[in-house]
Amino acid sequence: MDPSEVEFLAEKEMVKIIPNFSLDKIYLIGGDLGPFNPGLPVDVPVWLALNLKQRQKCRVIPPEWMDVEKLEEMRELERKEEAFTPVPSPYYMELTKLLLNHASDNIPKADEIRTLVKDIWDTRIAKLRLSADSFISQQEAHAKLDNLTLMEINTIRAFFLDSLNCMYKLRSNLQPGSATGQFTDF
Amino acid sequence: MSDSLANDSGDLDQDDSQEELMTPAELISSLEEAWLNEKFSPELLESKSEVVECVLEQLTHMESNLQRVKKGDAKASIHRMEVDRIRFVLSSYLRSRLQKIEKFFPHVLEREKSRGEGAPSLLSPEEFAFAKEYHANTETYLKAVALKRMPPNLQALDLLKAVPEPCLDSFVFLRVKEKQENILIEPETDDQREYVVDLEEGSQHLMRYRTIAPLVSSGAVQLI
Repeated sequence: MDPSEVEFLAEKEMVKIIPNFSLDKIYLIGGDLGPFNPGLPVDVPVWLALNLKQRQKCRVIPPEWMDVEKLEEMRELERKEEAFTPVPSPYYMELTKLLLNHASDNIPKADEIRTLVKDIWDTRIAKLRLSADSFISQQEAHAKLDNLTLMEINTIRAFFLDSLNCMYKLRSNLQPGSATGQFTDF
Repeated sequence: MSDSLANDSGDLDQDDSQEELMTPAELISSLEEAWLNEKFSPELLESKSEVVECVLEQLTHMESNLQRVKKGDAKASIHRMEVDRIRFVLSSYLRSRLQKIEKFFPHVLEREKSRGEGAPSLLSPEEFAFAKEYHANTETYLKAVALKRMPPNLQALDLLKAVPEPCLDSFVFLRVKEKQENILIEPETDDQREYVVDLEEGSQHLMRYRTIAPLVSSGAVQLI
């Protein structure tokens, strides 16, 4: 899966904005939005929030977890625990990136947040690599991956799954009789 | 006879009411689920023709409405963006199905042929036509380019053997939507033992596609 497709999914998350225009309720296929009144916060999907922001029609209110103190706590916890800790949003990385790139003037301490989220991401990816390594060296057949986000899975998907398949082919060819014509590639 | 008829129509009614109960928002999310499942499963999944048709209907309806509003309308541009997003998911879904059909066409056709009466179809009518045509064209091409220059005893061509089957033993990532108990995990090596796991709702797992393939088509798990 392309990272941009994960980002596409993240853009469906809801975020609060303060519009500076007024508009009646909109009846979208995926649900109703609005009504929009200047100064009154309203929930919209991120794709719409960013579009309005780019046209300077609203102010984005960052989600609650996008806060230096909360993220610092998370970072400490993530470094202390051996397992993956629960993340505040299944798309935390994508949302941080999208909101900070397009609406950084509405988010207090944007730079600090960027660094913190990157730190959390790096810690988690390091853990992910370690567990992928032990998964392979112990030849496990099942793993539980709670609290992993789609973007994190996506960073190792192609490489990890292909290597597992490759090893499976090699191994099944080692055992005579179990090798079928199933894997003969052109 | 009358009984079975009554049952049949009962089933139909139920199906109808289920479809009617589905809100457009639910329709879109079921399209997205189908999209992700299709993207990540190694084999071609059941065709979701009803969902595709309903979504297309919604889109055409919305687009015809949009044509009537004048340019520069703030609402229309938002609607247009949503329509574009849904169209993207829809075409990506259909495209990934076509890619799989191209990759596994003899096996897909074989499965469609051996499918029992009344069993859900693997392919939509359009996809079926595409697969058949692709099959015929590949055969003709191989014959024209190479086979007819071969010695007669080597001219036979079995596409079922020539094209690799989908590898159901691939690993997949999945999220559990309905709790499942006692899923048997087969051992990787001879000195390991098989064991069972329970899949809790909302948990995420990595395992072989073969183990959970029926759960994907029943909708109990979502591939991620």
